[in-house]
Amino acid sequence: MGVPHDHEDSQDSSPEQVMDRIAEQILANAHDGPNGLGRLFASPLARRVAREHNIDLTALTGSGPHGRIVLADVEKALAQTRQSEPEAAAPPPEAPVMGELMHATPAPPERTIAQGLPDKQILALYEPGRYEVVPHDTMRRFIAERLTLAKQTIPHFYLNIECQLDALLEARERLNGMAPQEGPRAFKLSVNDFIIKAMAMALQTVPAANAIWTEEGILRNRPSDIAVAVALEGGGLHTPVIRDAELKSLSEISNEMRDLASRARSKRLAPHEYQGGTTSISNLGMYGIDSFDAVINPPHSSILAVGRAEKKPIVKDDAVKIATMMGATLSCDHRVIDGALGAELLAAFRAYLEDPVTMLV
Amino acid sequence: MTSGTEFDLVVIGGGPGGYVAAIRAGQLGMRTAVVEREHLGGICLNWGCIPTKALLRASELYRQVKEAEAFGLRVDGIGIDFERLIQRSRNVADKLSRGVAFLMKKNKIVVFDAQGKLESPGRVALTTNDGVILPSISAKHIIVATGARARSLPGLEPDGTRIWTYKEAMVPAHLPKSILVIGSGPIGIEFASFYRALGVDVTVVEVQARILPVEDEEISKLAHIAFAKQGIAIHTGTTVARLSRVDPGGVLAWLRRSDGEITEVAVERVILAVGITGNVEGLGLEALGVNVDRGHIVIDEWCRTTVPGIYAIGDVAGPPWLAHKAMHEGVLCVEKIAGVDGVHPLKSTNVPGCTYCTPQIASLGLTEAEARDRGYALKIGRYPYSANGKAIALGETDGLIKTVFDAETGALLGAHMIGAEVTELIQGFAIGKTLETTEAELMATIFPHPTLSEMMHESVLDAYGRALHS
Repeated sequence: MGVPHDHEDSQDSSPEQVMDRIAEQILANAHDGPNGLGRLFASPLARRVAREHNIDLTALTGSGPHGRIVLADVEKALAQTRQSEPEAAAPPPEAPVMGELMHATPAPPERTIAQGLPDKQILALYEPGRYEVVPHDTMRRFIAERLTLAKQTIPHFYLNIECQLDALLEARERLNGMAPQEGPRAFKLSVNDFIIKAMAMALQTVPAANAIWTEEGILRNRPSDIAVAVALEGGGLHTPVIRDAELKSLSEISNEMRDLASRARSKRLAPHEYQGGTTSISNLGMYGIDSFDAVINPPHSSILAVGRAEKKPIVKDDAVKIATMMGATLSCDHRVIDGALGAELLAAFRAYLEDPVTMLV
Repeated sequence: MTSGTEFDLVVIGGGPGGYVAAIRAGQLGMRTAVVEREHLGGICLNWGCIPTKALLRASELYRQVKEAEAFGLRVDGIGIDFERLIQRSRNVADKLSRGVAFLMKKNKIVVFDAQGKLESPGRVALTTNDGVILPSISAKHIIVATGARARSLPGLEPDGTRIWTYKEAMVPAHLPKSILVIGSGPIGIEFASFYRALGVDVTVVEVQARILPVEDEEISKLAHIAFAKQGIAIHTGTTVARLSRVDPGGVLAWLRRSDGEITEVAVERVILAVGITGNVEGLGLEALGVNVDRGHIVIDEWCRTTVPGIYAIGDVAGPPWLAHKAMHEGVLCVEKIAGVDGVHPLKSTNVPGCTYCTPQIASLGLTEAEARDRGYALKIGRYPYSANGKAIALGETDGLIKTVFDAETGALLGAHMIGAEVTELIQGFAIGKTLETTEAELMATIFPHPTLSEMMHESVLDAYGRALHS
């Protein structure tokens, strides 16, 4: 209508065709991106064996054509996991086996991601040339998949609390002051190391919260295995797990965390180093965030979102005083942790944190 | 700085392994030379795979024409012009050999018609068949691809007239009345099949308990039944104690069964097909310290010998003695030398094997017995030709397609096939196996109807109790 004939025939004419072509381009980019970015390439056999043995394909480097993950890569990872298993603190024999549960979690994307708006429909809202499209890498897809799963299947609720950190900061200063500067016993404690330890102790004090939902029953974990979110340069995050944190000293936790974080940043973590645990800690205090609500990382039943520590006026003994306060929010899976249980856990956490000497017993 | 004697790569031997290695090197921009003492294309093209396929095509056609009546066709006066039949096979070989020469030229590969010998690491001495010594050539990388020849056993040496190797068996002056084939591997069985189809009395002797001993036992058994039905006399568990030339113009063979019993067989000609041995002599390998073990050059996964800069591919480097294995090694060896990304060692379980007898035999990966020995729990699928519509229409109802799966992972461990056209079908499983498909993808693949390939689908389904047409 009113459009010259030849124009109508040219492939640029209809907005729908333009959108089709852009969508095609995006898909093509995602598939052919360098280093196998975009979708995960793995042989059917590699996928199946990985699923059966709980190997995270996103953590593997493919040796097949164009970086495709083949059976040999999965078998290699499997051999490495088996080798390092005896080193990792093995749970007592009667303890629930984490591996069995993990079977269910790395579900293929097509099962877990609910359909959002189709790409075509989204692109139709934006003018071509006024944006660029960055193809997803495997980590981005993994985050999307896992956290969509979390928000779709875990009934979240949130508990806020403020902790006074003055005693902790004082203890930290004293301990760091007397720390050896070099050698195997050297350490430099961070506030986060105290938070990990306090959470580990709190889970022992309130064991019912050290648990995970499964369809068959609630899996109560015995050790306090705590995942800590580590932001990666250029986006994405990893969650290495500090195992048996209730048994470890602050300096041990601190040094282990430093090692795990640096290896997480260079993407050199083995699957057993980021799988398992019942809760996570996500600390955005260093970014100046006061408080926030975090999304639970399945199959965990909670996550502690930690804000910044800041001097504030507080009322104590009917007088206004200055204290260093830190906000923390616990996101709980209501299937496992009811409100009162979550409150109990958070209260125990605050008690340890505010009086760090109590963590010693 | 290059002259006519300096190269990046020299390949000794212009057979399928050698010429393919040279082409790949040419594609990758390497200055490449091939040294060939006889014919480009090697045994495969001149005295093996290709001319025997031309012969087998003739015998197969003859068999089909004789069966024409069953299809409602009348053919009168059918006969054999043996000389012409042999000539056609030679023409086919010649045509392809010229094709290889063209490919060498196209890829700017220098071909030396000479015998090559390793003088020192990086240097090859050249002598023509007339004894003329050419200037030596040099290259940082030298690939030995000299192939193999028929093995002979003590007391069972070929004489070129009555006791043949594959070479004489391919170009006889007339069609003999009777033939004894010693050895029932692919070479022996193909000649047995060829000559039997032309009406020759054929006897096959095999030292092992069954013919085609590397094939799956079930396939061996079906082949045995089919050959016996065609009138081939088969003696398994039997050795040839002695061959003696007798008049007029024949050979008397003493066959000794494993229980000691001796049978005498009088035949016009004998074909020795007891395996092959690498062409490792006269190359100067020992002097340079290249490790040679029982007639074959020892190589690692990248076809490197024990001496840096010297490589070996194909038959000279050991079994399986297959042209396609040699070609694959040629490509991977050159790519590794050139530093191409993503080169992988050859996976022996992904190398298909084909025997072009009637019925044809093709196999890939582990046999059922090998898979059990390796401790796999198995799912086995079978589908007979007699239940396939296309096979019935073709009048080819003898055959079986057998698949072997790992029950735990669904990996396709092996495929074993006997029947019409299986040598053309096996690549379907080879692609699947190379891509690491499981039974699920094979089941989800749509096979066209009506084809013989549907039997591959049904065999996979049968392994999981889901065959639709059985």
